[in-house]
Amino acid sequence: MENALLSVSEFVAITNQTLEYAYPTVQVEGEVAEFRIAQGKWVSFKLKDDGAIVNCFTALAQMRVPLEDGMRVVVIAAPRLNVKGYFNLNIRAVKPVGEGSIKKGFELLKAKLEKEGLFAEERKRALPRVPQRIAVITSTESAAYADFVKIINERWGGLNVEVAHTQVQGVPAPDQIIRAIRYFNSLEVLPEVLVIIRGGGSAEDLSTFNDEPLVRAIAESRIPTLVGVGHEVDHTLADMISDVRAATPTNAAQILVPDRQEIIRSARAQASSVGYLLTQAIDSYSRQTKENLNAAFSRIQEKLDATFEQLGVLRVAVAQLNPENVLRRGYALLRGEQTVGSKLEIETVKHIITAEVQDVRQK
Amino acid sequence: MSDKSNKSVQDKLTDLSELVGWFQGSSFKLETALDKFKDAEALAEEIEKDLTKLKNDIKIVKKRFDTEE
Repeated sequence: MENALLSVSEFVAITNQTLEYAYPTVQVEGEVAEFRIAQGKWVSFKLKDDGAIVNCFTALAQMRVPLEDGMRVVVIAAPRLNVKGYFNLNIRAVKPVGEGSIKKGFELLKAKLEKEGLFAEERKRALPRVPQRIAVITSTESAAYADFVKIINERWGGLNVEVAHTQVQGVPAPDQIIRAIRYFNSLEVLPEVLVIIRGGGSAEDLSTFNDEPLVRAIAESRIPTLVGVGHEVDHTLADMISDVRAATPTNAAQILVPDRQEIIRSARAQASSVGYLLTQAIDSYSRQTKENLNAAFSRIQEKLDATFEQLGVLRVAVAQLNPENVLRRGYALLRGEQTVGSKLEIETVKHIITAEVQDVRQK
Repeated sequence: MSDKSNKSVQDKLTDLSELVGWFQGSSFKLETALDKFKDAEALAEEIEKDLTKLKNDIKIVKKRFDTEE
């Protein structure tokens, strides 16, 4: 090959074969410069450090996080010499690194999605109070998953839970989670809730959940979503765009199902409250009956009193009319014909006297 | 009232709430209140039993998500 005469095309092809053999993919870290989007489809930028600069090229659809000049990134790329003689890194994946760049990528994507209204409150769907069919996407090898299962088993029973095992960090993770979201959304009978959980980690670990296609897949899910990623202080675009955000995977389990002990206590309290209401009703009826009886007795008493009073008046009147009383006052009762020679009977209070009429005169 | 056969815990909770509502509402009649009270007690007991014995069915999906199909 050393002395072989090659055409330019052959040289480019051989160079690319050699590069492909020696470096199928490389990971290169550097700072983004001269970031451009051409025709709304192609992305180009330069990756640089203090000593060198290299061209990077990819399709816009390949971009998972918005970039800006000055951001520090790692690109996973295939080195290629193109037919125009430019050496490029053909990017397969790019991810911001370092706290500042990760935050910058987060803010850029957040602003973009916010502009589209994807965080709007009116988009948020409520979760069923007690879902029966639940889909979970997580790494089944994680402590977060173990905690989640422990909590839901403690809190509730009778649930049908289907778990999709995916990576939850690293370059392949977003696509795996997206495939799992699509899988659950394609089921004939949809689960009632789609839960996505991951435990705590570094900002770089959690950056999986700031991946644009993943965030959009969560927003497009037909199944209401509950996302719990990291610790309470961690905020990812995935949990911000979900229907319900859980602070942690444990919190996701707490939001998902009620606590059976609380429900048992509440059922007991309800039954007791019914007993109390019944006792109250009986008391109220008794009181009312007693009041009615008292009112009836009072009426009867009033009537009796009025009658006795009337009777008293009548007795006085009758007593005044009694002839005995008149005789006691000194009057006498006279019986017989008032003609001369007739015998008269005179009744006083003490005696009955017989007398003869000697004279009768007109008054 | 209490039907141990088919009703879910959720249905039973709804029934219990309705019973409480009946006691607080205008349909209340002392003549039937004692039976309703017994129903409420039985429901609370069933709910407790159901919740205590129910286990979750957790399955891992066999499909792999690390590659496109």
